[in-house]
Amino acid sequence: MENKKMIPAKLPPDIYRALEDVVGQEYISQDRAVLECYSKFSVDAGGTLKKHMKDPSNIPACIVYPESTEDVQAIMRICNRYKINVIPFTNGMITFSGPTTPDPTVCVHVSRMNKVLDVNEDTLTARVEAYVDYAQLQAEAMKKGLWNGGTPLATTICKISSQSAFAGVWQTDHKYGTLSRNIVSIKVVMPSGDVLVTGSDSVSGMETFWEYGPGPDLYSLIRGSGGTTGIVTEVVCKLHTWCGETELPEPPAGRPSIQTFTEAKYDTAPFPKRHTLLWAEFDDLEAEIAALRKIGQAGIGVGLNATGVYNAYYCSQTQDMTLDRVKNKFFPPYNLYVILQGIVSQGQLDYEESVVRDIIAEVNGRFLTEEYKGDVLYALAPWNLDCIRHVTGYRMNRHSYCGSNILGGPIDTVARKTREVWSKALNTFGETYVTDRGGMDDTPFLYSSNHGGRYWLTEADVYPDMNKPELLQRAQATVACGMVNTIADKYGPGANGLGVSIEPVTSFMPEVGPNAYLLFRKIRNVFDPKGICAAGRQVFTKAEYDAFPEQALAGFNKLRQMHGLQPIER
Amino acid sequence: MAVDNSKLEKIVGKKNVLADEATLMQFSQDQSFVAPRRPDAVVYVETVEQVQQLVKLANETLTPIVPFSSGLTLRGAAIADQGGIILNMSRMKKIIEIDDENLFAMVEPGVTYKQLQDELTPKGLKVMIPFGAPADRSVLTSYLERDPVMAAPCFEDGNSLIMDTEIVLPNGDIFHTGNWASGGRPGAPSGPIRTNILRMWTGAQGTLGIMTKMVVQVSYMPAQRKIFFIPFKSLAEAVEPMKRIQRREIGSESFIINSFNLAALLTESWKVPSKFPVKAADAKEFEQIRKVLPAYTMAVVINGPKRRTEEKIAYEVTALKELCDSLNVQLLESLPNITGAENIIDAEILRPWGVLRKFNYKGSVHDLTFKAPITKIAELEKLMFDLALQAGYPAADIGMYLMPLERGRAIHCEFDLHCTAADEAERETVKTLWQKASAELINNGAYFDRPYGIWAPLMYSRAAVYSQMLQKLKAETDPNNILNPGKLCFA
Repeated sequence: MENKKMIPAKLPPDIYRALEDVVGQEYISQDRAVLECYSKFSVDAGGTLKKHMKDPSNIPACIVYPESTEDVQAIMRICNRYKINVIPFTNGMITFSGPTTPDPTVCVHVSRMNKVLDVNEDTLTARVEAYVDYAQLQAEAMKKGLWNGGTPLATTICKISSQSAFAGVWQTDHKYGTLSRNIVSIKVVMPSGDVLVTGSDSVSGMETFWEYGPGPDLYSLIRGSGGTTGIVTEVVCKLHTWCGETELPEPPAGRPSIQTFTEAKYDTAPFPKRHTLLWAEFDDLEAEIAALRKIGQAGIGVGLNATGVYNAYYCSQTQDMTLDRVKNKFFPPYNLYVILQGIVSQGQLDYEESVVRDIIAEVNGRFLTEEYKGDVLYALAPWNLDCIRHVTGYRMNRHSYCGSNILGGPIDTVARKTREVWSKALNTFGETYVTDRGGMDDTPFLYSSNHGGRYWLTEADVYPDMNKPELLQRAQATVACGMVNTIADKYGPGANGLGVSIEPVTSFMPEVGPNAYLLFRKIRNVFDPKGICAAGRQVFTKAEYDAFPEQALAGFNKLRQMHGLQPIER
Repeated sequence: MAVDNSKLEKIVGKKNVLADEATLMQFSQDQSFVAPRRPDAVVYVETVEQVQQLVKLANETLTPIVPFSSGLTLRGAAIADQGGIILNMSRMKKIIEIDDENLFAMVEPGVTYKQLQDELTPKGLKVMIPFGAPADRSVLTSYLERDPVMAAPCFEDGNSLIMDTEIVLPNGDIFHTGNWASGGRPGAPSGPIRTNILRMWTGAQGTLGIMTKMVVQVSYMPAQRKIFFIPFKSLAEAVEPMKRIQRREIGSESFIINSFNLAALLTESWKVPSKFPVKAADAKEFEQIRKVLPAYTMAVVINGPKRRTEEKIAYEVTALKELCDSLNVQLLESLPNITGAENIIDAEILRPWGVLRKFNYKGSVHDLTFKAPITKIAELEKLMFDLALQAGYPAADIGMYLMPLERGRAIHCEFDLHCTAADEAERETVKTLWQKASAELINNGAYFDRPYGIWAPLMYSRAAVYSQMLQKLKAETDPNNILNPGKLCFA
């Protein structure tokens, strides 16, 4: 195995030349050194395993860097004509595998499409290109007294186009909802090369201001499609009133270079103007859930969440501190934090804080203050800004994070269900790292995703050492086990609370829908009849379904049987 | 007809298949300008299994099947353009569950706004209802139609109110969205496989599937409510105040209504109709009220929840007063010259069907309902007035209702034209104006996101790729084209 050569598939020279003619010599490469950079994602267990196995199928055949939607159209037309697989790429910060077939794949890196094209104060929208991240958008919008409503925990440099394809969970989902509720229009280049635009923007002569229609809503097919409907080249985001300054505050200690960024004082920025963050702790999960429910239903706040192991990552400047704090249970095991904004006035902020204080008192919770657990509150200071613009999420990747179970549902069940499902998975396969268990014996990460506190998301993660294939395999099995368990228990739509799923969970869990994969196979055929876009990723074609390796199916069937489901027979 | 009644009767029972002339005539039209078309049969269903069997039978026999709930969309949605079966779900009236801990309710297609609100009231809960929705309108259909509810100005509480759903697909298979997708408890809207997949079936007039159950959000009733009115002489004057109030996120419900519609709402001698069209009624009281009302009135509703009710109302009221002072606009707690109007409006916030009294003016109302950017509404209003003038239709008889959506990102606009249904000449005049106005409004940036009837070609002809993709989706999922054929951009 060690001497095995990795020989990636190559493009036929005429196709390479055709692509070169689209973007120019400077913006295309099949240099092996360049290709390797795109051969796995940063938090990708599957891709890393392929590296260990010397499996070349993750190495794209070439990289192209289009500059415009027109470039992407030309690339798509060439690839579609010759049935060459295509995969879009932004900053590679997702947990799903890259090119998943051994056939030659063109990786379309949209890094040159990086402009905020417009911030419109009348329609409260911002039009951004595919490589624009949340930080860019936020900076531009705040200049006009607006913001987009939040940034992902996967950090503020996530690209909005990628998030539209996969995730988009923010700490401020309580008020603003997930990214799903914050897109007015998407422009996607389909495999045919045609451009599909959604919402009012799709109709010639209309302004871009309304997200639905015309008629049935095709946005619903692109959001969460994992790149299978085409390449997103523009997104129009909603903007909301921002009551803070035009720039975010800095820590009084300043921001030093990364080498000295190990001291807490560099993370202790004040809140933005008319913002407050309140932390409370509880004796047990019951009290925590009661408080979350009451605050969720009180009609206040922009963010309402509870943190498990994440505090130990985000708020610890070194990995040693993380481990020490996990081991010594430094952070409160049952807690919540509320993000308040005074958009109407300071009076709003005062009123909402009073309501939170009433509720915490009702459930016998305690606020963290300078006097009570002041050291803990000081350690939590990174959240002061990170609740609005998240950057410390990097610390999750410090050891290596590479997979999650994310459940959705009402607060009374989702927290407990996550603990049950994830604990079972960990107990079955064993932990890969000490923080895998975070949240299982105390609170899992809980995000309110609805202003009435009707539904919530939870998260549990694996952190295997990327250098150890057996741990990567264990991590994959743990995540898959959690998913199968969730579906077998009839709790949720499958892969995660956002509803997005990735093969083989899509096709080999017919209980979902039921038979949702058959409907989505038809939808894939509508967008991509040749199956070239993010091939095999979200829903298999019939041919891909039939070609799924017998050994892999046997493994999956073991998981099914473990959870009382019949094995799949093709 | 490709299917004989005995096969239908086998599925739903003989008494539930109606094909007599009177019934077919009744279901051949609504009060819209959509051309009447008699169905071949009206079939009442009571269970989802019956719906599935009928859809399968329709596929076998290539029979069009047109879903029908309350029949109150008034835009021809349930007219069988190509004949076939009217699938009448009005007897599927069960409120299956009200979860007052997690604040949602599961309803069947026949459940009406009034029915659901009556159930919720004793629990201190409310369902979000659109202004001017008939009391007997189907909650499920109304939400599928994306009718904006009264709290729609408020981003966080007035939109995206659908959670889990149950749908019969065009092949007769059952399908669940949201947390319900794996068969257990509902309770969250996302998935399966795509985050927002349920939105595919919205604004679709039943062409892509038949929804048989829906979980909708419900909310606590406020402990106290305070309503303010701001009078304006023109719509153009109202734009900046509306924008500023919304951007400050003051109030929950808010709308602008012109003197015609407000007078209709306040005319107590007019009954709220439940079937349309109606017989015109005496307009003396209406005219008296109309005369004394401002041309346009903006209503801003501030709700106080159970916790610290007064404090919540106080800070919003203070902000609203400051803002109105700075804009130099009058802020009123009651309407001048109309005693007790604020109480009537107050009641309307929860059960907002009083404005349907407008049907008493001439009997029949034809709306132009669209979305526009806030900067466009004055221009579109002027266009409407100019067209009315050209057509000899009195501008004062155009009813108007405008509501900011998501803090003013868009404005929901309704322009109403009135005519006497039985007066052919008048009806024809109004129809011509309505058609011309539809085209001209669209030419000038009015977005009909629910492009029904004649709006469909006007909108889809401007959205080539979008309509092609819809057509491909329809062909792939409903290859026999049995679900409500002829609607939207479908053959």
